[in-house]
Parts: sequence; C-alpha cells; structure tokens
Amino acid sequence: MLKAIHYINQFFGQVGGEDMADYEPEIRTGTVGCTQIFNSLAKDVEVTHTVICGDNFMASRTDEALARILAMLEGVEFDIFIAGPAFNAGRYGAACGQVCKAVKEKHGVPVITSMNEENPGVELFHKDMYIFRGGNRATFMKQDMEKLAAFADRIARGGKLLPAVMEGYFPRGIRHEVFLEDIGREPVMAADRVVDMMIAKLRGEPYQTELPMPALDRVPVAPAVKDLRKVRLALVTSGGIVPRENPDRIQSCSATKWGKYDISGLEKGFTAPEYKTIHAGYDPEQADRNPNVVVPLDAIRAYQREGRIGEVDDYYYTTVGTGTTQGEAARMGREIAAVLHERNVEAVVLTAT
Amino acid sequence: MCNLTNIAKTVGVNKMVPTVSVPYPLGNPQLRPDDEWALRYHRTGVALDALETDVSEQTIFPVKI
Amino acid sequence: MKLEIGKFFVKDMVFGSKTGYSRGVLTINKEEALAVVKEDSHITEADLYIVNPGDEVRMVPVKEAIEMRCKVSGGVMFPGMTNPVTPAGQGRTHALKDCSLIVVGKHWGSFQDGLIDMSGPFQRNTIYGSLKNLVLVGDTDEEFERREQQKKNRALRWAGHRLAEYVGKCVAALEPEEIETWELEPVNRRESIVQELPSVVYVLQPQTQMEAMGYNTLIYGWDGNHMLPTFMHPNELLDGAVVSGSFMPVSSKMSTYEHCNNPVVKRLMKEHGKTLNFLGIVMSNLNVAMDQKQRSAYMVAQMAKNLGADGAIVAEEGYGNPDVDYIQTIVELEKVGVKTVGISNECTGRDGASQPLVALDPAANALVSTGNVSQYFELPPMKTVLGELESMGRDGLSGGWEGCVRADGSLVMENNGMFCSDHISGFSVKTCMDY
Repeated sequence: MLKAIHYINQFFGQVGGEDMADYEPEIRTGTVGCTQIFNSLAKDVEVTHTVICGDNFMASRTDEALARILAMLEGVEFDIFIAGPAFNAGRYGAACGQVCKAVKEKHGVPVITSMNEENPGVELFHKDMYIFRGGNRATFMKQDMEKLAAFADRIARGGKLLPAVMEGYFPRGIRHEVFLEDIGREPVMAADRVVDMMIAKLRGEPYQTELPMPALDRVPVAPAVKDLRKVRLALVTSGGIVPRENPDRIQSCSATKWGKYDISGLEKGFTAPEYKTIHAGYDPEQADRNPNVVVPLDAIRAYQREGRIGEVDDYYYTTVGTGTTQGEAARMGREIAAVLHERNVEAVVLTAT
Repeated sequence: MCNLTNIAKTVGVNKMVPTVSVPYPLGNPQLRPDDEWALRYHRTGVALDALETDVSEQTIFPVKI
Repeated sequence: MKLEIGKFFVKDMVFGSKTGYSRGVLTINKEEALAVVKEDSHITEADLYIVNPGDEVRMVPVKEAIEMRCKVSGGVMFPGMTNPVTPAGQGRTHALKDCSLIVVGKHWGSFQDGLIDMSGPFQRNTIYGSLKNLVLVGDTDEEFERREQQKKNRALRWAGHRLAEYVGKCVAALEPEEIETWELEPVNRRESIVQELPSVVYVLQPQTQMEAMGYNTLIYGWDGNHMLPTFMHPNELLDGAVVSGSFMPVSSKMSTYEHCNNPVVKRLMKEHGKTLNFLGIVMSNLNVAMDQKQRSAYMVAQMAKNLGADGAIVAEEGYGNPDVDYIQTIVELEKVGVKTVGISNECTGRDGASQPLVALDPAANALVSTGNVSQYFELPPMKTVLGELESMGRDGLSGGWEGCVRADGSLVMENNGMFCSDHISGFSVKTCMDY
C-alpha cells in the first residue's frame, strides 16, 4: 500500500467558502472532506495526510505558502502527491499546479491533479505534471476522483503508463513511440493509416493527424542595437568550429557540450589548421580549409578596423548542431546566453550550419 | 545567419540572414577567393545592419551577393 | 503499363547441392552463390548463413535488405545498377516471398548501418525479424573508407543485389503459386468512371543528400542528388528501378526490399478504380540547401497540380534537416489546392520532450508518424551475432556510441540504429503519442 498526501482548498477542506479563502496552510492527519472519496476508490494507495490552504492565501502569498507546505511535509513519508480536483476554479487550479510542482521538485514523487480543460492551470502546468481531464464543476467530484484513484493505483502497481489520451491526462509535451498492439489497438500498418487518412481528407470526413503541430516557438523581438560602435559584439556558432585539439571534447554529433575560446589574438580571423570543424553533419572540407566560412571572424575584424563596429568579445562560443535534440540545444543556448550577459555582450552574430 | 531559414523560423528566430549552404554558410568553393571574400563581407554586413534594425515580426534580411 | 509478380512462398531455406526451389523449400548452393558474391575482386571475405524468425541471432552492421527476384520477361533486375539500363515495371517478375537477403559487414559498420534481432523483445522492431533470411556476411578491401563514418559500402551492396538476382533466377522457369498483377493506364486514357474518382499521387522523397557520389538512392542507377523531381509509374518502383542508398540513419531507411514492396503504393494500386484514381509517383529527392529544397517543393506541387491530383501522400526517408523538404513540399502542395497527407518518423529525444520535426507548419495537418528515432533501447545478449557487435559502438552507427556495447553482449542504443525500424515505406505498426 502506497502512501499519499492530498492537497485541497478551504472549501473542499470544509473550512469555509470565499470568506475563508485567506485560510493559512495546515496539515491534518487522515482524511478531510473529499479526501475520503479518494480512499474509498483507491485500492493500493491510501491518503494519510491532508493539506488544506485557502485559495487567496496561495494566490497572494505563494512563496510563503509553498515554503510552509514543504516544511509541513518534512519527515512525513509519502509516495504520491495528489491535488484537487480543481474543476474550472482558476485560483484552485493554479494552487494545485504550484503545490504539485513544488512537491515534485523537492521530493521527486509522482504528482497528479485534475482540472477542467478551461481551467488556466492546465496551460500553466500541463508540462510539469499529470493533470487529468476533469469536469467543470464540483458535481463531477466522484468521476474525477475515480480517474485520480485509478491512475494512482496503476502507479502503485508499477504498470506501464499509457499515452495521455488513453489515461485521460493532458499531454505533457512529451512524445514517445508505441507499438499499436501495446496500447490495445489493431496493429494497422502505417501504409493503410496514411491512405485511409488521405481518403478521409479528400472526402472532407474527420480524421486525426498522428502528429498534431505543436505551437510554434515565438520569441519576443529584442530591441535593435542603437549603435554597434558602442557595444560589445560576440560570435556564436552551432557549426562546430573549435581549436584543433578540441580541448573540451565537444561531441561531433548529439552534442551536450559547448565551448568558449579566446580569439583576442586573431586579428585577421580564424586560421587553419589551428581551427577546424568537428561537426559530423556536413562535409568538413571547406570549413577545415577556412573556418571563417562558418564563423566570419575575418569579416568581423574588417568591419572593426573600418570602425563599423566597436568591441568584439574576447571569446567566441561554439557547439555542434547535428543530432542535437531541441531540449539540449535550448539548455546550451540558455547557458551561453547567461555567459554573454555576464560579459556585457549586447549583440550577437550566430551562424548555423 | 543560416541556410535553412525554415528551421530558424520554426524555432523562433526573429532576424535571419540567408547563407550559402550548410557546409559553407559564408563561403563558396566555386568562387574565386576575392569573390568569396566579397560575399562573406557583404552578408556579414547585412547581419550587422540587421542588428541595428527594429522589426515587429520574424524577418529575413535580403542579400545581394 | 502492366507488371506481373509471380510469387513463390518460401517455407524453408536450406543449403544444398543445387540452387533451386521446390514446394516451398528454397535450396542454395553455397559455393555457387559465393562465387557470384566474389565476382567483385573487392570482396575479400564472404560467407552465407540462413536465419529464421525465432533464432537467437543478432545481425549488425546490416547494410541492406533485398528481395530475391528475377525478371522473366520485359527487362532486368536493378537496371542501371547491377544490370544495364533497361525500362522496368513491365512483363513478368518472379519473386521469392516471406524471405529476404540481408547484407552484413563482417567487421566494419557505418553511419547508415543497423541491427536486426531474430528473436527476443526486439524481434518485432523490424519486419526482417519475421522473415526467413539468407544472410551475406562479408568484408572488402575498400581501405579508403575503412575508418570513415560515412561508407559507400559499394562492394557489399552490389554483391547483395547480384546475389538476390542469382537466387531469384532459380524460379525463373517455374510456375508461380500466385500471380499479382499491377496495372495502371496512362493518366489521360482512363475510363470516365475512374477519372471521376479523386486523383492521388504518391510523392517519394528518398535520401539523396550526400553531395559526393556513391551514397545516395539510385533511380535506374542514377544518383538522386543529381535529379530533379520526376514522374514515375508505380510499377517501376515495384520492379527494382529504385535502389536504396548508404547514407541515412538507419531507422529512417527504406531498403531496396521495401522499395520493391512499398505497401503505400500497393494499397493505392488496390484503391485505384474503387475509391481513388492513382495517377502515379512523383519521385522527388532530399536536398541540403534551402534553394534546392524549395525548388523541388515547387516542382512537385506543379507536377501534382498539372497531373490533376486532388490529393498527395508525401513520404520522407529521413529526419532532421530533410524535415524542411518534407514540410515545405506539403506546404506547396496545399497552396496549389492538393490535399496532402505525410508519412515519416519523428525525433523527440530520449526524454520525448523535443520538437518532433525541425520544421513545422500548420498546413501539415494530416501526418502519419511511424516512430521516434531517439527511443532508447536496452537489448539483452544474443547467443549468436552475425557481423561484429562492437561496430555499434565503434564505427559511428547512428544509434550507437562509444561504450554502448557491454562485455556480456548486451547493449544500449537508440532506435536510430535499428535496421529500417521506422518503416517509413509503410510497414510500420508503430506510431508516436503524447504522454
């Protein structure tokens, strides 16, 4: 039997309604209010403690509320953390998300909650936890609790978890391959799936894409640099140009490392063979002949001599972008950006291969 | 500065300067060394101009060489 | 154009004194078969094995899979490659079914090579795990690429195709157990009842991104990198005009076996005249530079539109930057009013959290997903290895890395190195789902 802790708000904790929304966080041994429903449904998981907090308290004093709740959990043994269901209650949904996220980060246990698709908490927290698709009001309490209890039981039994649509939680931005037979579906060949989809699309009948287009990344546009003569500019590349000996052993493929190397002495640009590419995703002949074709340091130096630009950072920043997952690339990007920021770099020319 | 501007657009890059190809973004082995330099100098210059230009949406800055 | 495929269903494969076929038993004279392999003096070592589904056998580095066939009338096998350029897709071809020929490097692997298990938890990951396989294991004197990550694998691949035809010829004079007929009339000479059905093209984007020659998909022996999109009759593909290359991370690969048996094309042929009017194949390519990608996308869209296509299925043999060719082609087709469906794999990272394709567009609203190249696998040891297990970690195979092979013969790898396992040709019984 696994032990669970259940987070609920002041209303479902039977403390009071809106007038009690500033209720301070507290932990009680055993079940309170709707928590009993969970225990009556789950077979292999039992709620041992209930945490109650007023929605306004959580919304207005979030850091304090989370710190106090995490402190309350010190020394309490538990395997799973459950919050809600929050239905379509916005503040309650956000509270469930925040608490689950904090508990997952600190304790590393599975965290599960339930919200209606209209609840803004879904958009905010679906990547961080299992949020089950719930009803829009409290009359769905039993149905929503059933989903949470069933899923908690499956975690307890160590069963293989199914795709989001089958389990009933909102997709977390994670995609894995599956054999159709493993999820209880007819093992229809991709050839038949694609032709059936073609026929449906031609007839204007409904069909379901197997790869829903994720929302495109949008980045706020940085304001233009007013005058390049007055700022420090740096060169960054994913083209794998490194000092000959590749001192940091940056990988040629699926890179997880990046390097920063001194170019302050390179007045005429990169020289070969002192610099070369280690990128396995393109033919290296031209880059090895003249690394400036990948990172145009020679042209940058020319503009510097002419007074078109001012200072060039003493370092350039490099990694390999082939077979590199977007997740790793984003992490390296954040790390490089942090260093650029520290070094007061205000403009970057990034070359990608 | 990249050749595959579609990928750059997809990941959210706001200012893009097209380059020659994947293996030699700012070179071209088919050109004479002088012409290759002119190309690199020009496109790098377009990138510098782009840094000083305000844009409201994802923008590909045209190049002449 | 009409093509007959005469089928011989192999129930058992054995070595014996005379290469021949009788009542489901395929017998191979090993000595004679190896002589065909060694016609090329670059083959320094070669041996043949027979493996069956359920055998405790692992094969790596696998370079190619080919269906054993021969032409009985109307042309040659693999025109422009192992035989002179001759039109393909007409007359009679005899094929040994339920089996294939697998080409394995005795020692050395390359980026595009992969692994096949004949039993155990990963047997199902490639269709070859459930076929009876004649396995050619060989080495060559191609010193120039011995230590290169990218290999042309020319001697072994050509040997495989010669051997496939040699074995196939043993049924040339026999009466097939079943005959499949593939026929499509010229696009403007079809009955009105067919013309009234929605018209569809199949757009194939085979791997052709290597600028150096010798690595890419061949079309009538011509390197696909030097080709612009063109129109083909489906029978040409089904009859060996297209030969798989030696470049792509292997879970994305379409082997020559798969080109000859392309199940999307076969299904479209079966729908032809019933639900669809199958116009044919637009043979496109995959490119390196943006202008090349865009050019092919425009040309495909133009060709589809002016052939009168209402719909198109686009298949991409690859992932990563070829996703730009894939998505852009879908976008251009949709722009000219051709309703388009795509089929390819994804790369979402081991944690599954990365963007599935490197290029995205809302116009790509109907996609079939055949697998995730970065799915992480842990394979138990296997009794017998044909080839060299160490190649997976040593030679830059796309799914392996230094240290991925353990001393006890177990290994960890990414799907990327599982031979043809995403079966973008259409055999895949996998998909990707949100978690």
